[in-house]
Amino acid sequence: MHTIIPQRLTIVLILAIIVYFTIILILLKDRKMNMKYSLLWLFTGVAMLVLVLKPDTIIYLKALIGVTDNMNFLFMILIAFLIMLVLSLTSIASRQANRITKLIQTQGLLEKRVRELEQKLDEE
Amino acid sequence: MNSHKTQSDVLIIIPAYNESENIENIVDEIITGYPQYDYVVVNDGSSDNTAKILKNRGYNHINCPINLGIGGAIQTGYRYAREKEYKIAVQIDGDGQHDPAYIQDIITPIQNGEADYVIGSRFVTKEGFQSSAARRVGIRFLSGLITLLCFKRVKDVTSGFRAVNSFFINAFADNYPIDYPEPEAIMDAVMRRKRILELPVVMRERETGKSSINFKKSVYYMIKVTLDIIVCRISYGIRR
Repeated sequence: MHTIIPQRLTIVLILAIIVYFTIILILLKDRKMNMKYSLLWLFTGVAMLVLVLKPDTIIYLKALIGVTDNMNFLFMILIAFLIMLVLSLTSIASRQANRITKLIQTQGLLEKRVRELEQKLDEE
Repeated sequence: MNSHKTQSDVLIIIPAYNESENIENIVDEIITGYPQYDYVVVNDGSSDNTAKILKNRGYNHINCPINLGIGGAIQTGYRYAREKEYKIAVQIDGDGQHDPAYIQDIITPIQNGEADYVIGSRFVTKEGFQSSAARRVGIRFLSGLITLLCFKRVKDVTSGFRAVNSFFINAFADNYPIDYPEPEAIMDAVMRRKRILELPVVMRERETGKSSINFKKSVYYMIKVTLDIIVCRISYGIRR
């Protein structure tokens, strides 16, 4: 059978993916990562696993897109994934910035109310 | 403190970021000259002693613990206006550029129900401080862009001297553009099909301190605001 990925490399890659999933699991277990944001990472892991276990998909997808070189194709999808992840991080950061703004404003408004209440109490 | 005074219909929102040198002048001017209006100073996480001055002078103020930028500070004011159910909100800069004498001019059309959003403009009668030539080119460009995209001519798109009715108090309390919000806020108002009016005011040169926009920032300003306006146009176009 024509192999795209040598046997030894396949084993190394599978081990690497196992380590990858373990790290994600540990992060999730310790609540250092929200499940919501880990979904993309988990999906990436599954995609990597599929490519390693069924390398034929590479040839199929490659032909579909029109890339001739195996490695080029791998780099291409790798970069595409990274761009997607960074984009999602930017969007998460923006959402959080908006939420923090709202919180700061609310805190400011509340501080004003507390300050005025305290003042009223002092006057009485 | 004006806790015993009955509430006015008009709230003046004064954002202040490191304005310790100017803030007393402008607030005192409003308190003594225009007691018919309520005001609130939004201290936008100033690192100088603005907070201390506001406290010692007993001004009506809100302290944002972290610097939000002008958009976030103004929005705090709008949220306060909504909370207190003001009918009209006026925003003026904390640096003394805007003369409170013109507040009555710009709120009159709103009180009469003739406009929803009034902009105090330097360029209608071309009196008073006109800003530098380079800035006027930038302003003209942004003004032209807005006209091109939504057929509404507003000359002084960067003016921070504005008055809005309760519709916009409510809308801006929910959502106000961040960073350099002025042109985008106009675009927003135009796209909501509200009545926008531009009235002449005379602006003074800053009394002390520096403008928030220096030369370096102006490049970022132009690119950012241009994109803001275009994105605003596109997103409203889709929604419609």
